[in-house]
Amino acid sequence: MYIYDKFDHTITRERVAEFSQQVARRLTGELSEDQFRPLRLMNGLYLQLHAYMLRVAIPYGTLSSKQLHMLADIAKKYDRDYAHFTTRQNLQYNWIKLDQVPDLLADLASVEMHANQTSGNCIRNVTADQFAGVAGDEVEDPRIISEIIRQWSTFHPEFLYLPRKFKIAVTGAPKDRAAIQFHDIGLQIVRNDAGEVGYAVYVGGGMGRTPIVGPLIRGFVPKAQILSYLEAILRVYNRYGRRDNIYKARIKILVRETGQAEFTRQVEEEWPLIRDTGVDIPAGEEARIRAFFAPPAYETIAEPVVAFVEAKKKYPAFDRWVSTNVHPHKVKGYGAVTISLKPIGGIPGDASSTQMHAIADLADTYSLSEVRVTHVQNLVLPNVKQADLFAVWQRLGEIGFADANIGLVTDIIACPGLDYCALANARSIPVSQRISERFADLDRQHTVGPLQIKISGCINACGHHHAGHIGILGVDKAGVEFYQITLGGAGDEKASVGTLLGPGFPGDQITDAVERVVNTYLELRSSPTETFIEAYRRVGAAPFKESLYGRR
Amino acid sequence: MAVVDSNGLIADGWARLADDAPVPKGGSVVVSFARLKNEHNSLFSAATKVGVDIPSDVNLGELEPFLPRLGVIVVRFATMRDGRVFSVGRLLRERYGYAADMRAVGPFIPDQAQFLLRCGFTSFEVDDSYPVESFKRSARAYSVWYQRATDRAASVAELRQGALDGSKS
Ligand code: SF4
Repeated sequence: MYIYDKFDHTITRERVAEFSQQVARRLTGELSEDQFRPLRLMNGLYLQLHAYMLRVAIPYGTLSSKQLHMLADIAKKYDRDYAHFTTRQNLQYNWIKLDQVPDLLADLASVEMHANQTSGNCIRNVTADQFAGVAGDEVEDPRIISEIIRQWSTFHPEFLYLPRKFKIAVTGAPKDRAAIQFHDIGLQIVRNDAGEVGYAVYVGGGMGRTPIVGPLIRGFVPKAQILSYLEAILRVYNRYGRRDNIYKARIKILVRETGQAEFTRQVEEEWPLIRDTGVDIPAGEEARIRAFFAPPAYETIAEPVVAFVEAKKKYPAFDRWVSTNVHPHKVKGYGAVTISLKPIGGIPGDASSTQMHAIADLADTYSLSEVRVTHVQNLVLPNVKQADLFAVWQRLGEIGFADANIGLVTDIIACPGLDYCALANARSIPVSQRISERFADLDRQHTVGPLQIKISGCINACGHHHAGHIGILGVDKAGVEFYQITLGGAGDEKASVGTLLGPGFPGDQITDAVERVVNTYLELRSSPTETFIEAYRRVGAAPFKESLYGRR
Repeated sequence: MAVVDSNGLIADGWARLADDAPVPKGGSVVVSFARLKNEHNSLFSAATKVGVDIPSDVNLGELEPFLPRLGVIVVRFATMRDGRVFSVGRLLRERYGYAADMRAVGPFIPDQAQFLLRCGFTSFEVDDSYPVESFKRSARAYSVWYQRATDRAASVAELRQGALDGSKS
């Protein structure tokens, strides 16, 4: 993991001091709410329906056990003893008082954490593959460039007042686990013909009311020049992105209205002019940061691990959990465990302080003190010995997080929706809870197989419904909550935007409708190994429409 | 109206000239970009010093021919969130080599001072009631920065490498 040096500490400390006096000036009235708003947003502080919500940055989703313990302590000290992991690998507290924020930030700073740029029209927390460093298929660990981008983008003097928010995601592997084509900039680490490592750059993807799969604008940017390339993109966007209409202000609209070819030309024109101005970091600095992400000292373990194989034979429930929740590790004898924060009927992504402490303890005992946050609102223990998996599973069972449902129909993403969010049209959380309860039977979930349901409470699409195999969008119809269904979205390397099936359903019918879609899939799939998304791509929307709305 | 820099209040020698006002002999005047384009010959011959007031969406190519003779460029924030001002500042300094006074005007808040300074601004036009102390504090809020900008301050990455190189020798 990256460890702060004196410079990182200084900047974090100066940030706490700065924001503390900004809060004080708001309280005395020197700053109006209009003036304070962008300042507090740049510190992740939202005014929600009932209270302030604080969003804490978990850069590229990597946490130490010590940090997770602190996040749990903060939940107890300042909030109602729980916190919420988000689709951007961040963490949110929902019940925060403004005058406590300076103390809370100081607590975060004590474990090298912050809330910088987790909201506002600036470069947000960069996200990455949750299996960074442990997946066998990666070209390079994406956390290295992610940390470089974190530092470069922090208080970047030119890019704090962009037309709109700006999100960057990185995948280190051809298998995209970071949904890079749904980001303002998506970077894929690649190797060119000469064997050098660099980045393929995608620009202008996004969700919201205009979902777009971001196009590739350059196949290879050399590693040493990536910051100047990013700076060129940001400068073109900052100068020419629309500021007259909030719904047209994202870079995806600029790319579309300018045309991909012309936009790319402008970036390519800007790039050489800033390439040699000291934007790109010295090679020694890349090496310094890289060293923090060197593989830990793994043990040499022969496979098969007998105790592990025996446990799977003896306990079918454990075997099933391993099949869904344990990802292959690049080192023999290890596995990466995804902890499901989606217990049946629970709130996706919520964890109590007790649960967070327990997971941090598990990380200390079994996972080299590391935890990851996924963009599907789950947690990962990335370095667990296969021989320890059974003990981990048992302990997770005790805290209610042993559901064997990763990637299945109850591993649902839901945004906060009308229960918390001031922008919402409809509730998301209760819908996800009811669907989860309907599919509670684990045998049935495993029969259905991989299926991603994603729910947003309004068109802003924080629940990524456009990228859901089944997407659910809450809309307001004359004061009543309705839910539309989209099918066929995907957030991986075959990224696609889901298609709207037809008119929405009222809240008391949406669960039935989802079940009908699932049953239709089960009837038409060519074999039990044809997944929902594969079947949908083969047959299209028609049979599903018919099952929901009848023959037309 | 008052003018400040990172140390506080400064004297302002510039007078604003309305588009229909006659050009005074001698003196330092700031005019609109339209007037500069139309009347640059008479302006530069009559006034001692000429400055221009530009919006943040200005076409810098059109401004370029006048740059060597301008004494101040006043860049206008449309709203406090008008981030184009920061890019315009950097480009004028770094791309076009503009070296004289560059001034921000409009509804920016003291907390933006530090970033404007990093982007090459040297003076700031503010209301008389402006919280100048907050402005000065903002200008010093950070002692180090992660990235390079117009001010050429060494980035943290460069400071680290300097420190590392130093420890080796
Ligand atoms: S999708 Fe809408 S309702 Fe849900 S969190 Fe985002 S803004 Fe709020």
